[in-house]
Amino acid sequence: MLKKTKIPSWLRRVGIYLAVLGPGLITASADNDAPGIATYSMAGSTYGYQFLSIILIVTIGEIVIQEMAARMGVVTGKGTADLIRERFGVKVTAFAMLALILANLGTTVAQIAGIAAAGELFGISRYIAAPIAALLVSVAVLRGSYKHIEKFLLVLSLSAISYIITVIMVKPDWGEVLHATVVPQFELEPGFILAVLATIGTTITPWGVFYMQASVADKGLEIKDYQYTKIDVSFGAAWGNIISAFIVISTAATLYVYGISVESAEQAAMVLAPLAGDSAKILFSAGLLGASLLAVSVLPLSTTYAFCEAFGFERGLNRRFNEAPVFYGTYAAIIGVSVLIVLIPGIPLFPIMWLSQTLNAIFLPVLLVLVLKLSNNEQLMGRWKNKRFQNILAGGLTIFISLVTVALLATSVMGWTP
Amino acid sequence: MIYFSQLVNQQVWDGYGCIVGKLADILIDKTEKKMPPIVALSLKKNPAGIDFIPASQIASLWPSITLKVGADRVRPYQPTGHELPLMDRVLDQQIVDTEGRRLVRVNDLQIARAGEQFVLTGADVSGTGLLRRLGLEKIGRSLGNALNRPAKPVVIPWEFVASIEHDDPLRLSVSQNKLVKMPPADIAAIVDELDHHTSTALLEGFNNEALADTLEESSSELQMTILSHMTPERAADILEEMDPDEAADLLADLPDITSEALLELMEHEEAQEVRTLLTYPEDSAGGIMTTEFAHVPDNISVGQAFNFLRNSEDAQDDEVMYYVHILDPNRQLRGIVTLRDLVMADPNSDLRQWVETEEITVEPLTPQKEVAYLIAKYDLLSIPVVDPESNQMLGVVTVDDAIDIVLPTAWKKRLPRLF
Repeated sequence: MLKKTKIPSWLRRVGIYLAVLGPGLITASADNDAPGIATYSMAGSTYGYQFLSIILIVTIGEIVIQEMAARMGVVTGKGTADLIRERFGVKVTAFAMLALILANLGTTVAQIAGIAAAGELFGISRYIAAPIAALLVSVAVLRGSYKHIEKFLLVLSLSAISYIITVIMVKPDWGEVLHATVVPQFELEPGFILAVLATIGTTITPWGVFYMQASVADKGLEIKDYQYTKIDVSFGAAWGNIISAFIVISTAATLYVYGISVESAEQAAMVLAPLAGDSAKILFSAGLLGASLLAVSVLPLSTTYAFCEAFGFERGLNRRFNEAPVFYGTYAAIIGVSVLIVLIPGIPLFPIMWLSQTLNAIFLPVLLVLVLKLSNNEQLMGRWKNKRFQNILAGGLTIFISLVTVALLATSVMGWTP
Repeated sequence: MIYFSQLVNQQVWDGYGCIVGKLADILIDKTEKKMPPIVALSLKKNPAGIDFIPASQIASLWPSITLKVGADRVRPYQPTGHELPLMDRVLDQQIVDTEGRRLVRVNDLQIARAGEQFVLTGADVSGTGLLRRLGLEKIGRSLGNALNRPAKPVVIPWEFVASIEHDDPLRLSVSQNKLVKMPPADIAAIVDELDHHTSTALLEGFNNEALADTLEESSSELQMTILSHMTPERAADILEEMDPDEAADLLADLPDITSEALLELMEHEEAQEVRTLLTYPEDSAGGIMTTEFAHVPDNISVGQAFNFLRNSEDAQDDEVMYYVHILDPNRQLRGIVTLRDLVMADPNSDLRQWVETEEITVEPLTPQKEVAYLIAKYDLLSIPVVDPESNQMLGVVTVDDAIDIVLPTAWKKRLPRLF
């Protein structure tokens, strides 16, 4: 019906791009949420420019993985877990769900820690900031008024751009930056390996894969418009990781050179001092708060939906509590457990924010193996199944993450050193 | 009762107690709707190379799968094309529970012995079925007992199960018949939860009238999706079948160029009504009224009014007909009679004497909240909308549309489905 109307073809193309645009950009922007900022600040200030090469590898990985998820969404019209359930049965689904829930719980803890850390920068105790913010977000989400504040939060999280300005102001040695980006350097020491896992985990998330496929499937895109989704995925990943790279560059150029390894939000805020001076704290905490609130509004709810749909419980915000007790109970449990973890006396907020991301990375290979099997399934994907280079890249990434995880166990638990 | 999940991967023994292979799948006869019989077992890890064993040679399925004859005397089953493999095509798939009117997933399947045959009796869609698949049935049962809520399987009889897989035309025809009879709101809810490809395929089998009813109950996002997968001609036909106020709401959400193209394709009369409604703001009485209402001329008896209504096209289209409106030749409202009074009245009496004393009316630009308030205040079932200049009656706002204003539709699922 819509095809019959006469619209200039270039306008149609722009229109399609705008309609398709979104999932890729949203998942990529989520790279720079509170745990993302924490991870990159820590990595940049502790290991300098070394992490730029890892970000480059992770960017390629993110594009390959997200493209696979989007392609499966377009071709099958179904969600990731739909396909897992239909192809692999109940046991595999239960295992994948458990991994997803644990990874998402870890990230929710990180977001609430981000809120608490932003609060503490203003001298508000975490025992006040975290529970109140969690309560307000829950009320907003459950009453459906979340949409009204979404835009405001998006604007707050745009403050990530201030890292780019900071980098331009501090004038790093670009030759060194370029060299570090293209020549990978690895250290076999537990701290470094943890940081690598956190960087992977905060960029390529299990949640991102599910979200990408579901939103593409829900839009009912046709395969002929798929090229625009590909642009969205690549553009989104590139943009998100450019910001990540600039966080690393700015922390490396300002803090690393003075030997300051970021261990708190206060230190992480210092990096913006060349740009904002005394207001650096405000700028930093605004970004942290916006990104954390945004993620805390979306992540626990979509995890709850996933859990209830997988096991067939009544779900949805248009049900009442006594109609869908498991739905509301799970939501409350995710938020409640996250707040409680953040409130454990003396728990360091900043390290939780990035350490939680290693969970994402450790669970990622489980999901990647399933996604690879699905996207190579002839019956399911027909001529849209994976090309060989996609399998090599995705398979390589899966093996790489597994090896890094093994290396972490070997170096930290067994005390092995090369 | 035998569960399919307990049979898969079990050893298959022949009549002499030798292992023939492991059970890979069970094939049923898909042409039988009520209790389809098992026609063959599909084997794996079978050194003798027998892929399918005909059901006639099965001695028992539970507690062990044994055959009546020795492995050397098994006559391999030749597939006829009427089989449905349970593992491959039914287990874990989404199905519509047409009795419960909801979308579920097949967690397990129930098989029973009926005389000489084994038949598929139902689909287990419960959490107990899930636990059984995970091998945790005992834990689930004791947990259920401890909570004083004994876990029991929820089994939908196979005859109430309709497939939603669209690449299987034979079974789709079954689902279509049963689905069409569901209340439109339930169909809309199911379609809303389905993935895009399946919902489009499902709706293709509906006739225009059924689809119009379903569209009226659907979210505007869903309306768009459904319409965008049709030829413009069919879309126009469906819009004609819809209530003019609903059709106008739908068209208002479309780009002007598209809605104009659709209006051009509609019958002139229907298109004209919709065009008029489109000129009113969405949150005014004019925006939510319907132009289809029962009316009769002035100066007639109750009996004549009945005859008039039976032959009146507007009365045919009036979905609820709580009130009958008396209009003079200039379409000005002269009075309202409740259908109840009309039914109870002497057919020869003058219609006028049953007219309600006071008429509450609104103008097309009256805000919709005000309309809802008046309907609630005066306990009305519908309220006439009258043009303030010509005094002509334009339509009515019915109580169901007024309820939608006071109780807004629940927060639409904003997040994409993860599953």
